[in-house]
Amino acid sequence: MKYAFFPGCTMANRLQFAEKSVRMVVPEFGIELVDLAFTCCPEPNAVRSLSEDTWVTFAARNIALAESEGLDILTACAGCHESLTLAKHELDTKSELKDKVNGILKGMGLEYKGTSSIIHVHQLLFDEIGLETISSKVTRPVPIKVVTHSGCHLLRPQKIMKVDDAEAPVKLDLLCEALGMESLEYMDKVMCCGAGVRKADNETSYAILKEKMTSIMMVEPDAMVVFCPTCYITFESGQRITNRLFETDFKLPVFYYTELLAIAIGLPDTDKLLADHRVKIELPEPVEAKSDKSESIPI
Amino acid sequence: MTDEGRNQELEELRKAGRPCFQCGICASSCPVFRVAPEMNPRLAVDSVVSEGHVPVEGNEWLCSYCLMCEERCPMGVSLAEILIGIKNISSREGKAPKDFVESGEALLASGCLSPQSNRSDKKRVDLGLPDLPQPDLEQVKLIFEATGAYEVLEKNRAAAKEEAE
Repeated sequence: MKYAFFPGCTMANRLQFAEKSVRMVVPEFGIELVDLAFTCCPEPNAVRSLSEDTWVTFAARNIALAESEGLDILTACAGCHESLTLAKHELDTKSELKDKVNGILKGMGLEYKGTSSIIHVHQLLFDEIGLETISSKVTRPVPIKVVTHSGCHLLRPQKIMKVDDAEAPVKLDLLCEALGMESLEYMDKVMCCGAGVRKADNETSYAILKEKMTSIMMVEPDAMVVFCPTCYITFESGQRITNRLFETDFKLPVFYYTELLAIAIGLPDTDKLLADHRVKIELPEPVEAKSDKSESIPI
Repeated sequence: MTDEGRNQELEELRKAGRPCFQCGICASSCPVFRVAPEMNPRLAVDSVVSEGHVPVEGNEWLCSYCLMCEERCPMGVSLAEILIGIKNISSREGKAPKDFVESGEALLASGCLSPQSNRSDKKRVDLGLPDLPQPDLEQVKLIFEATGAYEVLEKNRAAAKEEAE
């Protein structure tokens, strides 16, 4: 299966190791990625708040570009996924809007038809490839306790996004458990990371992160797992800012899911991915590997 | 946009808020309200319907767009979407916050919001990531021109300049 890959500008220019991990793992499941001259998705809050028309037209251009190649789009960022999926929904349900946008795209030799679907790596792994296939490839389980944060823009509005239950998401937890992790429930699992408010009010944004982190730390995880580069940056770098602003002491390692997948299926050079993590973690040896080496006599 | 266009747009937003019966589940679900109660979603809907703006003008920009309010509203009202409409109007009036305007400027200059840099390019090379094909910036300009984004940016630049003086 071949997809037009849409890493998005945050992943491509700020979280390259996460992009690398996606590009490392998908060929293992027979997926080929094609790069196209996409613009920003554009970001679902910032650009759309300035002008709805501008937002939907940029998104339509991106989708039309994939359509012209006859490809579906694979996204890796929750924000990109939300923008493209919501715009597609608008264009597919409002013919007047579609005509207006196509009037602009015509000047670039493009047309939005509505023929390409948009899926996130989360959906590719859980819905298309499936837990069983993923588990069968695991050679080096990762026995750590994690909390997951799927990301607001993957979950809501649930009736349009259709990624997981917006109030009680479990799919990312199951994906983690397939790699040998223990996934912990926590109180504010579907709460925002705070990134959306950062452009309007920095302190409010980190006050939200403080609430979220406080809830996470109550269950004492070893790390957290996300599926969005913006959430990743907010959690990882944001912890230090939160600590400075509110005298907290958060220091939780964060992973983009496919990094752990690359490690668990035994791909080479995963050290390169982890080198840029700001909060480091020494991943423990899998329990099975340890018992293999032990000399105790089985009972 | 003409006054008539603006009024019509506001009327649509008010209509979208009318099913609200002030139960307040939006406020109890809102991460912003939890730490900054001046952004009260329940009162915001009421105020948009009756006054055409949120209680404290400018607070519409505090929405994190997490969509919890929309997901939980028993009447299917989406405050987040209503606020997008309010923000569009306030952007056209030159009232967008500085960082939002900068996002628009970045999109116009390079087609993306987190632009490439020497550092990011080097990181891509180090990791063996491909050079991504770049969009034609003429197409970016064409979208700005056709959708009124130039006027929005210009209005906000002028407002910022006026404030600085």
